[in-house]
Amino acid sequence: MPLIKVNDLVKEYTVIKKGKGLKGALKSLLHKEKEILRAVNHISFSIQHGEIVGYIGPNGAGKSTTVKMLSGILSPTSGEILIDGLSPQKDRKRVVQNLGVVFGQRSQLNWDLRLGESFELLKRIYRIDDRQYQENLAMMDAILEIHKFIHTPVRQLSLGQRMRGDLAAAMLHSPQVLFLDEPTIGLDVDGKQAIRKFVKEINRLKQTTVILTTHDLGDIQELCSRLIIISEGTIVEDGSLSDLIDRIAPYRILHVELYEEAELPIHPLAEKIRQDGTAAVYRFDKKKVTAAQLIEDLSCFCKMKDFRLEEARIEDIIRAAYHKKEKLEGV
Amino acid sequence: MLKTIRYYAGMGIYYIKLSLLGWMEYPMNLAAWLGTNLLQFLVGFATIKFVVQEFGALNGWTYSQIAFLYGLAMLSHAFSIILFIQTWHIGGIMLAGELDRFLLRPMNVLFQFLFMDFNLIGLTDLLPGVIIFIYGCMQVRFSWTLYSTLAIMAVLFGATLIRGALFMATGSIAFWTKSNSDFSGINLNIMDRTTMYPLTMYPRIIQMIFTFVLPFGFISFFPASAFLGMDNGFSFPSWIIWFTPVVGIAVFTLSCLLFCAGLRKYDSAGS
Ligand SMILES: Nc1ncnc2c1ncn2[C@@H]1O[C@H](COP(=O)(O)OP(=O)(O)O)[C@@H](O)[C@H]1O
Ligand SMILES: [Mg+2]
Repeated sequence: MPLIKVNDLVKEYTVIKKGKGLKGALKSLLHKEKEILRAVNHISFSIQHGEIVGYIGPNGAGKSTTVKMLSGILSPTSGEILIDGLSPQKDRKRVVQNLGVVFGQRSQLNWDLRLGESFELLKRIYRIDDRQYQENLAMMDAILEIHKFIHTPVRQLSLGQRMRGDLAAAMLHSPQVLFLDEPTIGLDVDGKQAIRKFVKEINRLKQTTVILTTHDLGDIQELCSRLIIISEGTIVEDGSLSDLIDRIAPYRILHVELYEEAELPIHPLAEKIRQDGTAAVYRFDKKKVTAAQLIEDLSCFCKMKDFRLEEARIEDIIRAAYHKKEKLEGV
Repeated sequence: MLKTIRYYAGMGIYYIKLSLLGWMEYPMNLAAWLGTNLLQFLVGFATIKFVVQEFGALNGWTYSQIAFLYGLAMLSHAFSIILFIQTWHIGGIMLAGELDRFLLRPMNVLFQFLFMDFNLIGLTDLLPGVIIFIYGCMQVRFSWTLYSTLAIMAVLFGATLIRGALFMATGSIAFWTKSNSDFSGINLNIMDRTTMYPLTMYPRIIQMIFTFVLPFGFISFFPASAFLGMDNGFSFPSWIIWFTPVVGIAVFTLSCLLFCAGLRKYDSAGS
């Protein structure tokens, strides 16, 4: 049975349109113009215990809206969510007891408290017993080095420290499921690395199931065994990154440089795109021929001075997926 | 069940403890508030003295009796600030996304909201309130018996709830308008005018409204007139005092229901 099951989920927001200027304001006072905005449009997926899933999409795609529905903050307009068999809306308290949630844009910590005091408060709210609390704190400290700022008021923490604090706070009660909404946004390289290491470790040690939204390619490549890509509220891709690359960008490009001008042949498994004097460019399907094979074949015809391989950029592949392109043509 | 009650009681105490610790970190803030508020209320009080001396009395109420009324009203005002200041800006709390945080915790949201802020700024109203109330009691020779003490406590309890209910009900409108509309200024103004002076000085229709529609008369006017044996405009008997806690519980429950209905309409705040 999947740990998280989402079935035909829809969320519509009612947005009240405000008129322009005084006349518009008066008009909207008398007659409120409402607009329905469908942020999530018939989404379904299942996630198994222990998966790390990247929930990817351009700004406004509906990622945060989905996370908020999964975590019981928002009610769906229609559709069904089950987390470990329970609805986050109908059984909110029981579901969130087993849930950790971090929003990169907004801290869940109490600004007025010191970080350690926030942890103490959470210990009581979630009724965490002493042993588990100490164990978790020690484990998180080992990766996130929280002791350095545990006595600092949350409002004085740097963004990187705050995110570490938020992550630790979300995992104190050993939830089975962790939702991270843009956890690395605005962080420096070290900050991002700490967060990634943490996610990997808790997934390895505690088999925590993670759903993570991000725009960071590093997060996607390092963490996500599976990607769910959404665009304008609908799922456009669901699979592993390598499958996505194979399907959307099956080509690689080989640049060849020769010692002296010679006419290069047409290879049966690679397309010669162009040749200018000593420089030639081939495009080939990496499933049909390896780069090594291609180079070996070409060396029979000429003396090669240098070569360079070009891959499709992950960024372009993901952008192509956003726009529901079937294939990347060039690279 | 018993476990749940123990849990919430423990959490309530813990929240209050955290707030107190927070205030202790910035004692100067409190001192500054105390200074300005004390001044503000003594000035207000002096104004009444001036008015009453100039025109004799307000609708048959002597200066001493008004002091008693005024002091009684200030006490519940102070308690409502200490306990319910967060109900003054529900729209702001909503837009700041704090409700999202409450919803993520395995705890009742209304409970978290009511205990989120135990505001000691209220002490700066409590202190002048106590001074004026004691002064008023002495002036009218209020007799402190077991009965009257219990009655005063019941009145303060109910009056605090009535005040909290008004702020909570008007604040909950933000759930529907999704804006940071702030009614606390108007609310405070209406409360001041209906709890610190005898209601009988207003036209009949206003008296009716503040008895049966917005029951602010029960905050201080009906109890005070019963204690002092003054005309309350409706020939209510003296046990009307005990209506204050009943009305308080009733309207506070209603306002909680409104808050919860609003929460169901809640659509989070931006991204
Ligand atoms: N509370 C809200 N009220 C109205 N519209 C909203 C609200 N939250 C998000 N939206 C709209 O819903 C769409 C999806 O938003 P969101 O889920 O935040 O996207 P993402 O997280 O993928 O960037 C956007 O068009 C956004 O403007
Ligand atoms: Mg978002």
